[in-house]
Amino acid sequence: MTETSIGASSAVVAAPPATSRPAAFSGSFVPRLLTGLVILLSWEIVVRAVAPPYVAKPSTVVLAIPRVMTDPEFLRALGATLAAVTEGLAITIVAGTAIGLLMGRSAIVDRMIRVYINGFNALPMIIVLPLFSLWFGYSGAARIGTIIFAAIFAITMNVADGARSVPREFLEVARSFRSGRWRMLTDIVLPASMPYLLAGFRLAAGRALIGAVVAEFFLSIGGLGYYILYNSRAYHHNEAFVGVLLLAAFGVSFELLVNWCTRHFMPWYRRGA
Amino acid sequence: MFRNIDFDVAEREIVAIVGPSGCGKTTLLRCIDGLLPHDAGEIWVGNQRVEEPIAGVAMVFQHFGLFPWKTVFDNVAYGLRMAGASKAEVERKVPEFIKLVGLGGFETAFPYQMSGGMQQRCGLARALAVEPNVLLMDEPFAAVDAQTREILQFELLRIWDERPTAMIFVTHSIEEAVLLGHRVIVLKGRPSSIHETIVIDLPNPRTRATLREPRFAELREQVWGTLMREAREAEFVLER
Repeated sequence: MTETSIGASSAVVAAPPATSRPAAFSGSFVPRLLTGLVILLSWEIVVRAVAPPYVAKPSTVVLAIPRVMTDPEFLRALGATLAAVTEGLAITIVAGTAIGLLMGRSAIVDRMIRVYINGFNALPMIIVLPLFSLWFGYSGAARIGTIIFAAIFAITMNVADGARSVPREFLEVARSFRSGRWRMLTDIVLPASMPYLLAGFRLAAGRALIGAVVAEFFLSIGGLGYYILYNSRAYHHNEAFVGVLLLAAFGVSFELLVNWCTRHFMPWYRRGA
Repeated sequence: MFRNIDFDVAEREIVAIVGPSGCGKTTLLRCIDGLLPHDAGEIWVGNQRVEEPIAGVAMVFQHFGLFPWKTVFDNVAYGLRMAGASKAEVERKVPEFIKLVGLGGFETAFPYQMSGGMQQRCGLARALAVEPNVLLMDEPFAAVDAQTREILQFELLRIWDERPTAMIFVTHSIEEAVLLGHRVIVLKGRPSSIHETIVIDLPNPRTRATLREPRFAELREQVWGTLMREAREAEFVLER
């Protein structure tokens, strides 16, 4: 992934050498495909040889994809999970970044809350579910709460690190041009911390997804997690696996989204200052 | 850090400051900009006492200090925006100063795309855009290659001719100090103090022809002679 994004991001200066991108692409594509095929094949063989017929195997999962993808119940579940993850992540990014910036730039704030952030970050997120279900009921709010709890510390800690390591020259220039403290935060510290924020977002997005699924398992509220749980228990393993595949696809698309954002909004990143 | 440093800069005067490494030239400039606190002595710009960065003074940094996430336009606009300029003012002034430093057409370029010379032109435009009365130059051409450095020296002279300000120019290069300065202040030692002030009585405007004048060579030798002993001593000082 890395080689591809570096090659492509030079498009701003001049067209990159025509060969760089396809070469990097095919260079990692063939091995990747090979690994995938080996895994699928072994899976298929083992299940056919030793498992009862209702156990999912690649050939039957593939057949289940069109059926599941057009199932309104599945689409509702998908929509519910995606909406919750999006909402939770939006809140997480805004709140997590704000707290992280304050922590990074203010020694007092840092001293006040660092220990708690670290403590909460170390908690297994599932531990809060009994509490959240008491506070918010068996509801979407408890799910959002779990998502935020699962994701926010990754953003906060990364942004705090980023804000703390803003090059001194930048702050000196800002001071020389008489920037106010608040302007400095939004104008200098935040953009300088963007790479850290994106790294935090990568982690946070994965954790948010886990948080949503775990909450759905535990709270039995509609969503992809519950869909997978329900179908596994009903011996609809193939249907459950389509859900799992889709979750994996989310993971990949988050990664692609972050890479695209980096290239598009931060062409300056990875090129030194 | 300093002892007995006392000098004035006239409204349209370029004062060059040279001195051995580690004598605090850059620190002095930072104090004048109000970036560093000074516990004794006073710094005045016009009738304003400097305690923190003040309006009317702008600095050009050795490390350029451009923000990598801002385009040339936004970097040049930075000082103006911090000074509370209106949008119309920014739209009017920024292209003017970008053109003045010879970066016309590169408004949307990012610093990482530009050579060191272009980056420092951008840094100069950012400082000029706030239309300061005093321009502080902290070894501005130390980080660019020798040819670019020469080009930029004469560019600076041309720009100063168009928009003269008071300027304090800190440099390692004696040649640069004599070429640009109307006066050259030689600092020495730790704590540093003014060793000597040399008036550079070369005709203005300074051009490439200035470099060939016998008087230029004489003054360069004079500054070198003053500095040499200090420089030799400074070379063998251990850090405390």
